[in-house]
Amino acid sequence: MNWQKLKRRLPRLAVNIVVIAAILIWFVPTLGLLVTSFRPASDVAYSGWWTSLSSPLKFTQYTVENYKNVLSSGGMLIAFRNSFIVSIGGTVIPVFLAALAAFGLSKLNFKGRGFFYALIVMMLVVPTQMTFVPVLRLYNKLSLSGTFGGLWLVHTGYGLPFSIFMLHTFFQSLPEELFEAAHIDGASIWTTFIRLAIPLSVPALASLVIFQFLAVWNDLLVALIYLGGHQSVAPLTMRLSSLVGSHGQDWHLLTAAAFISMIVPLIVFLSLQKYFVRGLMGGAVKG
Amino acid sequence: MKRRVVLVSMLLVLALSLGASAQGVVTMMGVWGGQELEAFEEVMAAFTAKTGITVQFEGTRDLPTLLQTRIAAGNPPDVAALPGPGAMKEYVEQGALIDLNNVLDGKTLTEDINDAWIELGTYKDGLYALTFAADIKSLVWYRPDVFAEKGYEVPTTWDEMEALMDQMAANGDTPWAIGLESGAASGWPATDWIEDIMLRTAGPEVYDQWVNHEIPWTDERVKEAFEIFGKIARNSDYVYGGPVTVLSTNFGDSVAELFTDPPRAMMHRQASFVTSFIQDAKPDVVIGEDVAFFGFPMIKPEHGNPMLGAGDMIGQFNDTPEAAEFMNFLASAEAQEIWANRLGKLGTNNKIDPAAYPDDLTRDMARLLNEADVFRFDGSDSMAAAVGSGAFWEGVLMYVGGDYLDDVLEFIESVAVDSY
Repeated sequence: MNWQKLKRRLPRLAVNIVVIAAILIWFVPTLGLLVTSFRPASDVAYSGWWTSLSSPLKFTQYTVENYKNVLSSGGMLIAFRNSFIVSIGGTVIPVFLAALAAFGLSKLNFKGRGFFYALIVMMLVVPTQMTFVPVLRLYNKLSLSGTFGGLWLVHTGYGLPFSIFMLHTFFQSLPEELFEAAHIDGASIWTTFIRLAIPLSVPALASLVIFQFLAVWNDLLVALIYLGGHQSVAPLTMRLSSLVGSHGQDWHLLTAAAFISMIVPLIVFLSLQKYFVRGLMGGAVKG
Repeated sequence: MKRRVVLVSMLLVLALSLGASAQGVVTMMGVWGGQELEAFEEVMAAFTAKTGITVQFEGTRDLPTLLQTRIAAGNPPDVAALPGPGAMKEYVEQGALIDLNNVLDGKTLTEDINDAWIELGTYKDGLYALTFAADIKSLVWYRPDVFAEKGYEVPTTWDEMEALMDQMAANGDTPWAIGLESGAASGWPATDWIEDIMLRTAGPEVYDQWVNHEIPWTDERVKEAFEIFGKIARNSDYVYGGPVTVLSTNFGDSVAELFTDPPRAMMHRQASFVTSFIQDAKPDVVIGEDVAFFGFPMIKPEHGNPMLGAGDMIGQFNDTPEAAEFMNFLASAEAQEIWANRLGKLGTNNKIDPAAYPDDLTRDMARLLNEADVFRFDGSDSMAAAVGSGAFWEGVLMYVGGDYLDDVLEFIESVAVDSY
């Protein structure tokens, strides 16, 4: 390899090294968690997970006991069901509403749209915690607390500002000419939205769905406040957190629990990633 | 589009119907999870079998935050485990708790429950908390076989304790295993140490003044208690792994150091509930044979040998007949026997059948608890929350981490001045 070639490749090499290092650093805790989840409780108490890597092929040191314990603890199935109810509602509603709102704010001409957009973006800075008491009071009056419908509503509320912000930015990047052409061809606003804006924004929608789904799936606090922790409504996060005693006993079970609860977001991510990549590569915006 | 709207509204109806509440129900909030939750489920099942009333239990380790939010929003659970006497007083000030004198059976209160527990739950002439079960804390755990083999003797005074620690250190053994990590509550095991020392160096009266912040944190007597603890926890000769290990080890894992081969430490100071951690880490250890306890030794003879403890306090927030019945059940020996039997906790109802305790060791503790003449509750649980479950925890971590004691005490004092 000559000097010129090396010089040209050097920046790329540096970037690669940084990326690989970052991946490794992020990966180590997850690996630790994975290894720990397969180790017996007594080993976990005595030595770090890396000690088992000195003889990684000694399979007797691993056990699926933690997974068995977590899966066989009562109410897991109900918890999964609840998590699905909460997450699907808590994702579909805000993303759908945000798409409508962002489309309106970026592609329709009406008075004060800059003001409304600014108002929505401002709501990004309101801390969730500040809203708990007043909203919960309202919920008690409307008897919405402890219902999935109520929880969807709060997740919609908490998720909308960011979703609108993100989709608005994306819609802004779509060329105006496309929409003008559609208008001239006689498309109504609704048709433009469904036939043009939505298909073009699949990558943005996919990443938004991933974001919102992860946030809702992993949420513990909001669910605890508005839903309460009773078994019939408790989502997975709540069920898993009650595996651990009040003094943190049995925390080793959480390692296995973490991987079990990770499966669903992983499936969502992997199945949506396809759209995400295709959207970027497809170059839908050629008009 | 229409189809989606229909779908969403159908789901909404489904969600609303799932959340509807039933008749004959008590809602309860507690911190219990894992084994504790299983044990409490048995208590609840016994109650349901007896009365037909179901208990809806929500367990969360974020209890203080959640309970406060729900109280502020006006829908507290019917019954809840209280974080401690400090929190109890705050809830009474907010008018959230119900006076249990009107709820609990008078005969149970006067005859079956010892005065120490009534006193604990009493504030401003009302009884606001039922202590369902207790742990005692002034216990030093050790392995009798190791002590016998190495020729160590159980100390009864602090002078003997110091001599023993030096003897161990000279032999190449490490006297103590201490672990302070406990998630957001990290530091609490050290506050127990300091409270135990404070009770023995300054006496119960000064201890109460300290807990109620009638003497400042910078007081010489507080400082002395910190220093005695620091002599152990900041010294690698006296504690396994030195301050770094003390700070980074989970409190529940640190007792395991006594059971390594050879043992990495000789003694561990912890409440009665530590037995469940020992069993988790070493299922083959026989509690009472392979591991035993002695009382934390007296330091100044004039203050005797007091006992420090803590309890599962339960308060009632909604005045419903179902909740009242559940409170009465929790006060009964019947309910407490289940809890004591499963978890090795000590009941507060003195009618409990001693046979309900899982082993001789627990029976011994129950006897100690009933006989103790000087008994004090975990001070940090009784202090204002910003100090007792905040600055005090932080302070001991800073101190073990190497900060100057005067700075640490001034920091805690500054928080305390703001919160009393």
